Amino acid sequence: MGTEYKINKLDTSGVGPLVDKHWNELREAKDKGMKIAWCSGPMFIYPYATPNIASHFMAGYAAYCGGRGMADEVLEAAERFGEMRDTCSYHRLHTGMAAMIMNDWPVSNPQVILPTPDLLIGGRFCTEMSHYMEAIHRRFGMKTVTIELPSARSRDDLPRLEKFVTNQVKETLIPAIEEVSGSKFDEENMRNIFRSWKEACIIRNKCWEFFKRKPSSWTLWDYGVSIAPIFYAMGKPESLEYYQDLLKQLEERAEKNIYAVHPDGEKYRLYWDGWLPWSFLGKVIRIMIPYGAIPIAGRYPWEFFSHPDDIDPEADDIIHEWIRLIYTSPNTLSYYDGPWGGQDKIEELIETYSIDGMLFFSSKTCRMWNLGQQEIIDNIEKKYGIPGVVIDGDMIDSTMFAEDQMRTRIEALLETIDARRK
Amino acid sequence: MEKALSKIVEVTSDPYAYVAGLKDRTQKKIIGCFPMYVPEEIVHAAGLIPVVIWRGNESVTWGHAHVPAYDCGITRSFVDDAVRGKLSFMDGMVFHVRQCLQVGEFPLIMERNVKPAYQKILYLPPIYKGDSIKSFLLGDLESFKGSLEDFTGKKISDDNLKESIEIYNENRSLLERVYEIRREKPEILRAREVMQIVWSSMLMLKEDHNELLRELINGMEKKSVEPKKDRIKVIPVGCLCQTLQFDILDIIEDLGMIIPDDDLYVGSRYFANKVNPNGDPIEALADRYLVKTPLCPTKGVWDIDWGVEVIKQMKENDAKGIISIRVKYCPPHTCYYPDFKSKMVEEGVPEVMIEMEHEIISLEGVKTRLQSFVETIGGV
Repeated sequence: MGTEYKINKLDTSGVGPLVDKHWNELREAKDKGMKIAWCSGPMFIYPYATPNIASHFMAGYAAYCGGRGMADEVLEAAERFGEMRDTCSYHRLHTGMAAMIMNDWPVSNPQVILPTPDLLIGGRFCTEMSHYMEAIHRRFGMKTVTIELPSARSRDDLPRLEKFVTNQVKETLIPAIEEVSGSKFDEENMRNIFRSWKEACIIRNKCWEFFKRKPSSWTLWDYGVSIAPIFYAMGKPESLEYYQDLLKQLEERAEKNIYAVHPDGEKYRLYWDGWLPWSFLGKVIRIMIPYGAIPIAGRYPWEFFSHPDDIDPEADDIIHEWIRLIYTSPNTLSYYDGPWGGQDKIEELIETYSIDGMLFFSSKTCRMWNLGQQEIIDNIEKKYGIPGVVIDGDMIDSTMFAEDQMRTRIEALLETIDARRK
Repeated sequence: MEKALSKIVEVTSDPYAYVAGLKDRTQKKIIGCFPMYVPEEIVHAAGLIPVVIWRGNESVTWGHAHVPAYDCGITRSFVDDAVRGKLSFMDGMVFHVRQCLQVGEFPLIMERNVKPAYQKILYLPPIYKGDSIKSFLLGDLESFKGSLEDFTGKKISDDNLKESIEIYNENRSLLERVYEIRREKPEILRAREVMQIVWSSMLMLKEDHNELLRELINGMEKKSVEPKKDRIKVIPVGCLCQTLQFDILDIIEDLGMIIPDDDLYVGSRYFANKVNPNGDPIEALADRYLVKTPLCPTKGVWDIDWGVEVIKQMKENDAKGIISIRVKYCPPHTCYYPDFKSKMVEEGVPEVMIEMEHEIISLEGVKTRLQSFVETIGGV
């Protein structure tokens, strides 16, 4: 009889109240007379640091709704309005919300509805981010500012892209935020956010060390749900407390030889590429666990500024500093998001975390991470002898999630790993 | 006119053979420019032949080992053609990777599997507010020019560029004239012929195409056509970056509708707006790119309305309805479509949307939808 594997999740329950509080603050902000900015891409930091304006990070909210099981109803509202399923489900989540507000459609969970924005900030990191911002602008007509944020295809392009983005932020974004909020952008506030965020990232990286242990003390899913405190809720004291608690749990586990997988740790350590399937995290891990397989690392969860030493709250130009982190810092997420850079990052993660196989999650509606996935698998397989498969689905749209297809492909991957181990 | 049309049909019936033959005949290198906004003039000025990459007419086979089935038709078809070696006559390829996410897939796939001698990535920015947009665009175009100079080992002078701009502007003027005549005499050409005329411009040496167009226009001007009063004028819209299946155009006409004008990429969008022949040529090319109309949802234009623009075009042509052609898995068009539709409803403009896929399309279903549509706008 084979081993009966069971998941031993880390206690990440602290993240729920933290993110609930974050979004509740946004709702309360409107009641307090503050302005609201809806932001796509990483531009949310600028209104976040400005007084009298609250910042809504759209992708984060889509993930939150998916994780909370609140997405389906809104996606249905989007379809009722005329949206088609070919489009990004994050796009549909927000246009669905807009449709509900505009038409006063009933919603079973009012938590899903956010206050309408006074300012739309379209950070065009992926091209579709601009489409949903433009669609909302057409429907509500509020002030909109759009910033082009190209993902670099070559390291040589990074400096000129960084300069381009910084110029746009200073030329159009900051003035728009100041105009709508009626307040000056607060550099010191941004520095304070960076200070606290840096501290949280340092602790987060200490937590990452426990992924190197074999067997691992936690899974990528445990970390995945913990991204919010170091990204869109960055700089809040509770973020730091959250990571301090996470680290404490991991240290205790290491001391007592408690693993992420019962009874004696994982049999397969997997790399996970692309978005995390926010609405289906439980379903996916339940497919893997009976085989003793767990996801350990992924370039998307690692894109949230892996090098805290590089975060400089005292930088001369704090507006530019955020753009520098995205473009020319060692963890250039602009480059790692692209296919060439992605491959470099995946190789680094494979070597660091002793990966046995790769799962490339290909989203049917968001192609941002799909770029070159099949080429990357082939290249890495040739270099490291590690097999990989593509599994398709969606981050939050349950109509695109096929459990059996996913199970078949995961089983095929694990069988290939076994065959190569012999 | 018939001779010119016959040449155009020949070019577009087998673009692979035509472009390969063009290379042999001219002994010039071929640069494939992925639609829609690579400034072909710069390639032409470098002494190379730019051709606009097209969607083939075969089912995707090997390509699915490189791109998912939920990418659009031209993405899958182009990758399939490339990895099967059908585009080996292309010495170089240029991709504007900020147009949509799917274009971003090509460079790595080509680098690994096709290895063109020249490959260039462009980051042409959307038309957002602020001086930094144009300044970055100029830098991108200069970098493009520089990379072609490195590839050919020859400098591209301003005079070279101006000469190419003149040839391309002439092609635009001639295509405009074809469209003018069609507006006056919509029965003069079948809609598929009009599309083939524009498509052939994307495949041929522009000098040759200009000559062909002059011959064609001469014939069109002389030809008298009996107007058919019962035909209902409609404007097809969309089909960004790829050819429309000719069968759909045939169905539109066979059902008693007629197309006096269009808002299609392989149509009026391709030759819209000329380049200023005076002043700095790179700046002039940038200025053409920065024109907001015809509105394209890949260019980030949100302060004017596509629906309003199309209704204006419809009224100018005394047309009675709009036929949207939406390519399956084309996010730029698909994200815009609900608002486009709302505008049509708001303005009381009859509109129908046809979804186009690369391999499988139920023409019977398309016919039924179009039949209902023509009945609603007063046809039979």
